[in-house]
Amino acid sequence: MEKLILHQSQNKKHEEEIIPESFSETISNSIIKKFFLEVSSLTIFTLRFFKEVFKPPYEFNELMKQFFLIGYKSLPLVAITGFIIGLVLTIQSRPTLVKFGAESLLPAMVAVSIIREIGPAVTALIFAGKVGSGIGAELASMNVTEQIDAMQVSGTNPFKFLIVTRVLSATLMLPVLVVFADTIGLLGSFVGVNLKGNVSFYLFFSQVFQSLEFKDLFPAFIKTFFFGFAIGLIGSYKGYNSNKGTEGVGKAANSAVVFASLMVFIIDVIAVQITSLFQN
Amino acid sequence: MKRMTANAVSIEIENDSKQNDFVVVEMEHLKKSFGNNHVLRDINLVINKGENLVILGQSGTGKSVLIKCLVGLVDPDEGKMIILGQNISELNEKELIEIRKKIGFLFQSGALYDSMTARENLEFPLRRQLGSIPKEEINSMVHEALQNVGLGGEIDMTPSELSGGMRKRLGLARTLILKPEIMLYDEPTTGLDPITSKEISNLILEVQRIYNTSSIIITHDIDCARRTANRIIVIKDGVCVAEGSYTDLESSTDAWVRSFFE
Repeated sequence: MEKLILHQSQNKKHEEEIIPESFSETISNSIIKKFFLEVSSLTIFTLRFFKEVFKPPYEFNELMKQFFLIGYKSLPLVAITGFIIGLVLTIQSRPTLVKFGAESLLPAMVAVSIIREIGPAVTALIFAGKVGSGIGAELASMNVTEQIDAMQVSGTNPFKFLIVTRVLSATLMLPVLVVFADTIGLLGSFVGVNLKGNVSFYLFFSQVFQSLEFKDLFPAFIKTFFFGFAIGLIGSYKGYNSNKGTEGVGKAANSAVVFASLMVFIIDVIAVQITSLFQN
Repeated sequence: MKRMTANAVSIEIENDSKQNDFVVVEMEHLKKSFGNNHVLRDINLVINKGENLVILGQSGTGKSVLIKCLVGLVDPDEGKMIILGQNISELNEKELIEIRKKIGFLFQSGALYDSMTARENLEFPLRRQLGSIPKEEINSMVHEALQNVGLGGEIDMTPSELSGGMRKRLGLARTLILKPEIMLYDEPTTGLDPITSKEISNLILEVQRIYNTSSIIITHDIDCARRTANRIIVIKDGVCVAEGSYTDLESSTDAWVRSFFE
């Protein structure tokens, strides 16, 4: 049996009043609109993260897997970077300190620089490049190939399974990686000092620990949680909300790195201001 | 059998006395727009227990959106959807998850998890939905599901190591492992050679025969439609414009409908 139904199409023509607008006005309006849409969308995403993170069931197995992938797998890169930073900073700083007759301050100066600023900032940027882009590309690719939809259909909350675990993992793993990078950086500095001198391991680290105070360690450590959170969140946001299509994967990975790196600097500036307020 | 179609202008009900026992999916005046793009304008359809319903239509007419509405992946703007006696729009998240457990969805791309092997792809929905069940039982269910689609030997392969047809079959196995009451196939034979397409069509019929599932099959493959359909609906511009069996529509008086079968 066949039934054919005549469908009367309803084409409604809406007449819109066209207000003439200059090209530059159009562009600036579009950019401002896009900016506020992006900010509001990211805010909603962040609020959803805080809603889902405390709500059971908890994805412990996936969280452990992400600790391994995000934390453990980043160790070699962070170690190499940390060592090079310590070594180069020592070699570059020596001539200036020698000029002022303050060569003995080299371990202390390098330690304070690495612990307070260079270690956390550089590790966070490396982390943004590796983990932020990785999360962005992985989630965007899952989005394109309908894997996230498939997860939802199979009764799994993809936000909890994919986003919460990755953001939590990035937040908790970056501080660990920074401590590791700082330690390797100081070892690199020790090697740098000994390239043109003869300082024992004990003497070097005695000078390092004498120069460090609680106010150097604590704020530097605390801000790394915020760096990790921002990197995980932005990587996840860009990937989860990527455009369908292969182009979306590249864009998500790229914008995750750029935006996350920018956020690292912004958080760093805020952290420095807050720290200096308390120190004064 | 109950039949309902197209703008609710024409509704025909046969065997009315048994209709409630048989209807598993009912859609009334379903509408969905993306901006100014009115994808679904007014969809009315009914699917009966154990029936294979094929949906035909040109690309971009909202066929995939229609079945995504069914599982809550896309929220319709207007209209009512009743699945297994429950109005989808009135369900909370927990209840929606329970309904989803009864629906299998074979995605166009297979939507297999790249980072997992065939075994893990099948274990994932099992562990999520059945909770903590013995490992031996999971193993036996996974082996059985893979054997049913002829992939017993590929259990430890990742999706990237499988051919297009194998990926489709693995996707089907992953969907069927939970023994859904309703199956949604989104272009199950797209991109496959005629022999593999025939195999997939036969698998769809096997699923219907063994599990007595009700299915919606979205396809452009007329051979697949001919093999699998108990009933066909044709969608044009977001509205059902024709309904009937394969032979009915093949000899339709409407040239546009007939053109699908030529």
